Order: sequence, then structure tokens, then C-alpha cells
Amino acid sequence: MRHGFWRSYCRLLAVQGAWNYERMTGIGLGYAAQPLLEDLRTADPARHAEAQVRSVEYFNSHPYLAGLALGAQVRAEDEAAPGELVVRLRTALTSPLGSLGDQFFWAGLVPAVMGSLILALVLGAPPAAVWVAVGGYAAVRLWTGFWALRTGLATGPQIGAVVGHSWLSRWAPGVGSAAGFILGVTLPVAAGHLLEGFGTRDLSFGLLTAALGLVGGIVFGPRLNSVRFGLVTLLGGFLFWGLR
Amino acid sequence: MNGPGGVLALVAWGTVVGLDLTTFAQVLLSRPLVAATGAGLLLGEPMVGVQVGLVLELFALDVLPVGASRYPDYGPAAIGAVALMAGRHGETGAWLGLAIGYGLAGALLGGASLSLLRLLNTRWARRASAGLAAGDQRLVRRLQWRGIMTDLARGALLTLLLVAGAGALASLIPEALDLAPVSALAVGAGLAAAAGGAYRNAGRGPRPRWLIAGLGAGLILALAR
Repeated sequence: MRHGFWRSYCRLLAVQGAWNYERMTGIGLGYAAQPLLEDLRTADPARHAEAQVRSVEYFNSHPYLAGLALGAQVRAEDEAAPGELVVRLRTALTSPLGSLGDQFFWAGLVPAVMGSLILALVLGAPPAAVWVAVGGYAAVRLWTGFWALRTGLATGPQIGAVVGHSWLSRWAPGVGSAAGFILGVTLPVAAGHLLEGFGTRDLSFGLLTAALGLVGGIVFGPRLNSVRFGLVTLLGGFLFWGLR
Repeated sequence: MNGPGGVLALVAWGTVVGLDLTTFAQVLLSRPLVAATGAGLLLGEPMVGVQVGLVLELFALDVLPVGASRYPDYGPAAIGAVALMAGRHGETGAWLGLAIGYGLAGALLGGASLSLLRLLNTRWARRASAGLAAGDQRLVRRLQWRGIMTDLARGALLTLLLVAGAGALASLIPEALDLAPVSALAVGAGLAAAAGGAYRNAGRGPRPRWLIAGLGAGLILALAR
């Protein structure tokens, strides 16, 4: 393994530590780049200084996949690629890595895991199931970070093509479909479990709220997000039943 | 709430959970179901934690934590909601609605605190722009650690505030109050949130078909139970 790999890997776990509206994850990525750029300091001090400046410029992607961009950038710096090419590489990777990671993890694996966990608990699994789910997900997340940095370092500027044919791109649609199916199974079973025990009147209110919230969310979109709808409904209910 | 030791344990857990949301690792610890179950275990009432976590998780399934978008922070909020419901054996159904409402308000407060943290990070980065342009490595390290430590403090303070607020609120609400209908509304609103999130995430392609197939299988399973 390349000198500084594991220190960079650990720093990448906190790549959003200094997230801000100007450079986004740029500072986190620059901090993670420092151990990997150490060799360049002795080999080419002028290049090392320029690389440090480039490493903290604007960057944003899915946090788990930032290692792909970091590895590719460090490899490009090692190969003395022109500075403009390195900057263009970072910029070019922003959208694809963000979109792929969001699709695979935020809209796919996370809802699939959480939906499965809800289903398991509702069907009688003990609370320890929560830690099994967290452990399994953490293993995937940590391995993805390792794979991303290793692949970026091994590939360099050709990273786009490699990512396009990687397991992430191949599996993303399947993970999304699995998430859709799992959430579909979970919703009626969770509804049955959570509304069990309420009397007919309260059950009717619960189901009516679910129907109104779903239709309202579809019709009004982000103007009526789920938190606002939930808060307004609960406040109304509390004022009506609580203060009677 | 198990005295100062219990509060301290919840704040420590809330700090870890708050960091997990965006700053470090992101391994699902900040999901409301996980945060609430942990809080329930710490308070010796794991099933209360699971119950609160299940409903708040339905709301969280509607959230995509993408890039610069603003989103609620459910982790410390779930801990506060569990603290509100802890110690009410046998009446969890009645107090669930109140706890969920408290959790949702806490999640909005957490989201606002995250936006504030990002503004602070932006201000610090802007002030350091000359040093960053000069390749100052120590400055990069300092900015990174300042951001991490500020988020750590954010999680701790937010959890402390929500746990303390839960204690104060619990003492204000009469025990005999019948809040069961509010609990039914909370579950209904949570189901609407999760269904809305599943619908929006389904988009186009094969996923909507899988969602419909899942709904069919889920209905059969629910009726068979």
C-alpha cells in the first residue's frame, strides 16, 4: 500500500468536517490529501506546493466516493500532469460521483437497510437487530471508502471510465429496485403493527391523516414536506384533544 | 430519567449521533431508529426506544441528505423524544404522539443548527482564503479540526437542550391526559411521509414496478398476521 494511504483513508471518513458553502468538501479533501502528497514534497517541492493549493479548491461529491477523486488527483500530480488538467479532473468528477453515490447509497442502500430493519422489528426481531444492521452497513461503507481511494490511486485521470464500468454503476439500478420493493413490503406491515391497538375512531383518524399527508405531499411537493405536515397535524390534534 | 448519569450518557450518545450525520463516518448512527434504540437502551427501556424510533424513521425515509440541501437532524431529536417517553410504562401509546411531535420539532432545530455550522465554516474558510491560496497546510488542518469540534459541540448542546426540554415538558403535561388520538395522527403522518418518500424516490424505470409489487406482498403479509 502506498505511503500515507491509511492516514488519508482515515481522514476521508471526515471529509465533510469543514463543509462550507464556498469550497464545500474542498478543505476536507485537501486535509486528506496531505499524507499522500508527502512523497512529492521531497521529489518536487514546487509541484508539492501547487498540489496543496489545488487540493483545497472547491469540490463536492458523495462523501463515500471522495476517495476516487482524491486518488485520481494524487496520481495525476505524481505523473506531473498539467495543473489545469488536475483542476478539470476534479470539476469533472463532481457531478458523476455525487449522482452515483446518491443513487446507490442515499436513495438505494440506506432505505433498503432501514426498511428491512423496520420490517424485522415489526415482525418480532429483538432490538439487537438494530446493531446488526448498523454493523453490516458500516462494513459496506468502510469497504467502499477503501475501494474508492485504492481505485483512484491505481487509475489516475482515467477514473471516469473505470467508475462507469464499476460494481457501483452496475449494481445501482438493482439496489434502487430492491429498496422500492422492501419499502413497499414494509409500509403495510408497519402500518398494521403501529396502528394495532387503537380504537376505531383513532384508527380512522390515523388512516385519514396518512391519506391526506400522501396526497398533500404529492400535490404541494416541497412546500408541504413531511415534517411540516406532521408538526401541523400533531399541534392541531394536541390543541383539540389535549386542551378539551 | 436515571439522574445526571443518565443525562450524561444520553448527551454522550447524542454527540456521537450528531457527528455521524455529516461530519464523521456516516454509518447510520444518526438514523432516528438507531439513535432512539440506543437512547432506550441507555435508559433501560429498549422497547420505548424502538417504538419512538420506528415512527420517526418513517419521517426520515422521506429525506434525501444531498449536498447543500437543508434537511432535519433526527438523531439528537430522537434521543430527546425517547427521554420524553421514558418512565411511562403501559401508556406509551398515549404519549407516542407527543414524543413524535417533540422529535419533529427537535429535528427542525437540529437542521437549523447544521445550517448555522455550515455558515460558520464558510466564514472561517473565507477568512483563511489567502492562507489557503498560499498552500498553508497547518491552516487546512486547523479549519478541518475546528469544523469537526464545532459539530461535536453542536451535537452535545443540541442533545442536552432536547433532553432537558423533555424533562421540563413531561412535568408540565398531566399524566391523565388522553393523547391516544394524537398518537394515531403521528403514526398516520409518519406513514404518509414514508409512502411519499418511496413514491418520489421510485422515479422512472423498473423501481415503481418493484414498489407496487412490494406493496402487494406487504398487504398480503399484513393481512396474514
